[in-house]
Amino acid sequence: MQLLLFNAFNGLIQGVFYALMALGLALILSLNSVINMAHGGFLVIGAYLAYALSPYLGFWGALVAGPILAAAIGLAVERLLIRPIYKRTDPLYSLLLTFGLALIVEDMTRTIWGPQGLPLEIPDVINSPVSEVYFFVTGYRLFVIVITTAAVVGLYLLLRYTLLGIRIRAGINDLETTAALGVNIYRLRALNFGFGCLFAGLSGVLAAGVLGLTPPMGNSLIMPSFVAIIIGGVGSLFGAVVGGLIIGLAAGITTTYYPAASEAVIYLMMLIVLVVRPRGLFGEEGLFE
Amino acid sequence: MTAVLRAHDIHSFYGKSHILHGVSLEVNEGEIVAVLGRNGAGKTTTVRSLMGLTPPRGGRCEILGHDTTHWPPHRIAGLGVGYVPEGRKIFGGLTVLENLRVPQARPGPWDVERVFRLFPRLAERRSQPGRQLSGGEQEMLSIARPLLLNPKLMLLDEPSQGLAPLIVREVMQVVRQMREEGLAVLLIEQNAPLSLSIADRAYILDDGKVVYSGKAAELAKDTELVNKLAGAGSKAASSRTAGEPPAR
Repeated sequence: MQLLLFNAFNGLIQGVFYALMALGLALILSLNSVINMAHGGFLVIGAYLAYALSPYLGFWGALVAGPILAAAIGLAVERLLIRPIYKRTDPLYSLLLTFGLALIVEDMTRTIWGPQGLPLEIPDVINSPVSEVYFFVTGYRLFVIVITTAAVVGLYLLLRYTLLGIRIRAGINDLETTAALGVNIYRLRALNFGFGCLFAGLSGVLAAGVLGLTPPMGNSLIMPSFVAIIIGGVGSLFGAVVGGLIIGLAAGITTTYYPAASEAVIYLMMLIVLVVRPRGLFGEEGLFE
Repeated sequence: MTAVLRAHDIHSFYGKSHILHGVSLEVNEGEIVAVLGRNGAGKTTTVRSLMGLTPPRGGRCEILGHDTTHWPPHRIAGLGVGYVPEGRKIFGGLTVLENLRVPQARPGPWDVERVFRLFPRLAERRSQPGRQLSGGEQEMLSIARPLLLNPKLMLLDEPSQGLAPLIVREVMQVVRQMREEGLAVLLIEQNAPLSLSIADRAYILDDGKVVYSGKAAELAKDTELVNKLAGAGSKAASSRTAGEPPAR
């Protein structure tokens, strides 16, 4: 029983990272119409910059600076590379472009910081187990859950109540009409891309505290995040979060009974969803059916 | 009279197909100009080109003294150009009030409160998602949204499409009111008798070209000419008001 709880909790933490990643991916996919293969790259950027800055800023400063720098780099990438290809409606262009970016980022981190894993120092205050029986429930893991919840709620409030958020939702619904109502959709899409990268960067810093830093960490998180979007439903931000948590939990629980299948189970779930309910749990009707 | 909108020899394409073959038209201050024509004559492409949604590849658009030929839509809207798209294009997941917050508002007499006074039905439904509104209410919302830009020029693409006659009358009343407030209006309509009854001048498009331009009152008298040049449209008009679903 304790083993099951242990694995389920590990899975939940993993799922939290998937959910954060999937949320950013889904935002960018919905408004920018870009399948952002470089999303893992922004995760790595956030994580490594936080690592590099933590001796100067401390953990807390790095936790803030990492995601913000990832977002800033995201804004520059959007302006210089993504914006020129918006007018090409074939998604292949952005797919190949971001795929190339992902490879560049991974190799750059390997060149700068080396291929070996690096630890991100976490303050003792939040790193001790909460109880002896449930030794795996460390303060840091609870902290990850709290920060992620706050970020997701923050995004919800932004989309629901601010002018920017209303316009992002309008743009997702009908970009052309939004532009014809005087909204600068270039700026809207840039900001939205920045938000997506902010979530990738945050996911990177938080994941570095649990999993450590390695150059391919982004690419190992990105595939399950795509699966999370498909299970949750393309077009639904809420679905992306739920999808991420579900596959994380499922992988964790499977580890208890049949560890070898823990990764395969994610893709098996995607297969079942695609056959039984192609729109995903919360997706809009008619995207795949 | 000053020209608010002047389009000169516009050529527009969808992909490789040449849709507009040199359209020229003008709208002056305080004037309602109707554009008639059959299905596929290029009416919608004309407004889309003027709005920057289908940028013209040839010719020149001048709006409020600026050469807007290659401007993106949001800059054109920012000059004070309101656009009511064909098929209303309400943001279905957004509430009525949220739909009204999307436009980049410009200072002027029109604000959300005044829009709600003009369309009390929308005020009643302010917290409902756009997709739950009736066709008539969606049309009201589609007209209300660009009013918040405090426009000097309104481009309306088939506002009567798929609406009951009573609601069509209400919509036309609002269009008249726009003129009284000094707006210039370009009204795209298939329903010729209806649009000619409120317009000052009219153009007829056929096959991507202007085939007639003149005073609306004169054209209204010449039913034969209207039928010949914009035929299918004016015949369909009577059956369409009976509730045919909007053609998309």
